[in-house]
Amino acid sequence: MPGAPSTRRRIGLALACAALGLATACGGAEAGSGVVVPDAQLTIAMQFSPDAGYAVDTDDAFVVSQLGVSESLVASGADGIARPSLATAWTQTDPRTWRFTLRPGVRFQDGTPLNPAAVVKALTWVAGVSAPPRAVKGIGLTAVADGADAVKVSTTAPDPILPLRLSSANTAILAPAAYASNPPRIQDTGTGPMRVTATNGTQSATLARFDGYWGGRPQLAGVTANYVSDPAARALSLRAGDVDIAQELPESAALEFTESNGYVNQTVAAPRTDSLMLNQSAPPFRDVRVRQAITKAIDRTALGEQALAGSAVPASELFGPAVAWGSQEPPPAPDVEGAKALLAQAGFGPQNPLRVDLGTYANRAELPTLATAVQGMLRAVGVEATIQVADYDAKEPDLLAGRYQMYLLSRSYLLDVPDAGATLSSDYSCQGSYNINRYCSPAFDALIAPLGATSDPAARQEIFTRAAARLDADAVGVPLVHTQANGVGSKVTGYTVDPLAKTLVTAGLAKTG
Amino acid sequence: MSAVLARRLLALPAVLFLASVLIFLLPRAAGVDTARAVLRSRLGEAEPDPDVLAAIRLEFGLDASLAEQYLLWLSHAVVGDLGNSFVTRTPVSGLLFPALGVSLVLTAAALVLAAVAGIPAGVWSARRPGGRLDRAVTATSVLGVATPEFVLGTVLVLVFAVVLPLLPATGWGSVAQAVLPVITLAAFPAALAAQLTRAETVDALARPHVVVARSKGIAERAVLWRHGGRLALTSVASLSGLFFGGLLGGAVVVEVVFAVPGLGGLLYDSVVGQDLPVVQSALLVIVAAAGVASIAAEGLQLALDPVSRSAAV
Repeated sequence: MPGAPSTRRRIGLALACAALGLATACGGAEAGSGVVVPDAQLTIAMQFSPDAGYAVDTDDAFVVSQLGVSESLVASGADGIARPSLATAWTQTDPRTWRFTLRPGVRFQDGTPLNPAAVVKALTWVAGVSAPPRAVKGIGLTAVADGADAVKVSTTAPDPILPLRLSSANTAILAPAAYASNPPRIQDTGTGPMRVTATNGTQSATLARFDGYWGGRPQLAGVTANYVSDPAARALSLRAGDVDIAQELPESAALEFTESNGYVNQTVAAPRTDSLMLNQSAPPFRDVRVRQAITKAIDRTALGEQALAGSAVPASELFGPAVAWGSQEPPPAPDVEGAKALLAQAGFGPQNPLRVDLGTYANRAELPTLATAVQGMLRAVGVEATIQVADYDAKEPDLLAGRYQMYLLSRSYLLDVPDAGATLSSDYSCQGSYNINRYCSPAFDALIAPLGATSDPAARQEIFTRAAARLDADAVGVPLVHTQANGVGSKVTGYTVDPLAKTLVTAGLAKTG
Repeated sequence: MSAVLARRLLALPAVLFLASVLIFLLPRAAGVDTARAVLRSRLGEAEPDPDVLAAIRLEFGLDASLAEQYLLWLSHAVVGDLGNSFVTRTPVSGLLFPALGVSLVLTAAALVLAAVAGIPAGVWSARRPGGRLDRAVTATSVLGVATPEFVLGTVLVLVFAVVLPLLPATGWGSVAQAVLPVITLAAFPAALAAQLTRAETVDALARPHVVVARSKGIAERAVLWRHGGRLALTSVASLSGLFFGGLLGGAVVVEVVFAVPGLGGLLYDSVVGQDLPVVQSALLVIVAAAGVASIAAEGLQLALDPVSRSAAV
């Protein structure tokens, strides 16, 4: 029977492949010509689904922005510098007010023009929602039209980084018609290179090129976004050829997609740090010697490279390589004897061992693994840590009230805006609203105080660097690892992984042959 | 028989009422601050600002007493108004019914496949207990029971979507996309059906009236299906009724592995995010569906089994 031996071989290969293990690479993309395919359709397996119905005042704004649907007045990257987008220029007219000049000739996907009234409507809406996004929360943002081509945006207190705030995906400017519903409608109301033609709940969305895009004709004719929450399923979809791009693959799977077998594989540092929080409002961590001992006991290189198998970057301080002001240095080597000596000075030793509770949560898969590794490292210096894994939301009131000892927490240090001022203030100042470490240092507060009046990015970043060094010197918690973001494309060009998770589908993204 | 089923149907509203009380109270007894969880669902790293939490409580009526909240929800639910999702702020029905439709198709297809595969396998393996076929069916059914869905699903994708690119790896909406999730979901009930059918059939074939039937020269295939298979069907029908409700909302793993937008995933996300209107409505629908399925299974059992029918009368 013609073909039967071939089928048997393929079935045999399939079964052998399955037997070898689920992560084994059994296929690969064929090497392509690299020539752009005009007007192609692209399919993407996306990590996050629009659980809040594409509401731009929620984290779904990142999905809308990544799909190339919406844009904000300002663009920005991890370098912390504001760049033109829907606004071409901005000036601070007084300490509380900035004037933004709008880009001429921009039209929304429904054909209406981008004008001051539309911008005022969009910004007024997002500033007034019941749970405002972090970029605009608590700043008393108001917007008014200023002539035919500009808006003035004011805040209740001087805000030197307002342009950066308005680069947040949450401050997307949609057409006025979008705001007739709550949450605002995203179909045909953006200004980006792609317009949404259909959504299918949290399963998928289909998009078509917006021919009137101000930034030039997009190369792709359309995009299908499949929301696939399981990383392994995203990897298998890519391997099966169901999708052209897959976001956030498991480290082991990502390694299989190499340039030599036709894939574009990118891994970038993300602006997120997994840190060990130490409650300084009570013993034993009120004593800086104990905090320093914990810091010395932990081998952060081993955490990143061994415990997490290279999927995270060992952290030497709060800010990592994702941002311009972050440390590029490796963390200090562990010092077991030094840690024991410090603990002895603080009154702990073999006869009186330090026993602490180490809490964490399982929403982020790496945290329980890190907790177990940290527990082992602490045991080596005579500290007995008892791990407690529990739901974060249930634990948060205790953390904020100082009813804990040691807690492993994952936290983005940019809070939607490529500027660390908000994080330093909320997480580490004496009056900070999210100061889980319960750290209070007048010297630190004085160090970051100029951020309230400094708009120059270089000057701000100098303060961020000094603040991180100060936190390191005071042993305010232990930054363990910085997480990474990855993505793999098959026969695509113009694809880059954005560590801020704002861009994916751009006018320049294309399929290649 | 119809009287028995009528009594069951009449009891269903009372069951649903009791379930509604439990469904309403249980998420609130978990000790999670709903406003805080809703905020977290909208903005993953939001700080729990008291003013924002108060605004959310006011927006969704969470500052009212539990009794007031329950009566308000129930009074709207009985007229078909399931309210708005706390997270999406859109009507619950727009989230729930598409997901329910997907899960109904997935569950029904899986149970049909399980019956079609499991019952004949069990009956045929009972024909010669200890024989080659019996050993093969027993080993396969043990494997089916023991293999977790995420392992089976991933292996199937690897084989049929990656190596033999015959079927899509993920998604929902076409027959091809349904094949692998249905097979994965059917594996466990099929294995159980095969084991149950085999045991029932072996037992039935040893009964005196079957021995007599054989001695009269009735064909072996007829003996096997008329006396053994039919009895086994009654047990499998009961089992299907039990499985239906569980699979309807409990196929989370299969839904995640194959990116199927079903009720299990919706319910899981809603529980994590304390999206109470969605949680309450989804659970109520599942209880109602499980109740109806259970009554239907009992009807089928009565129709198939004369002994049960006469006992019920």
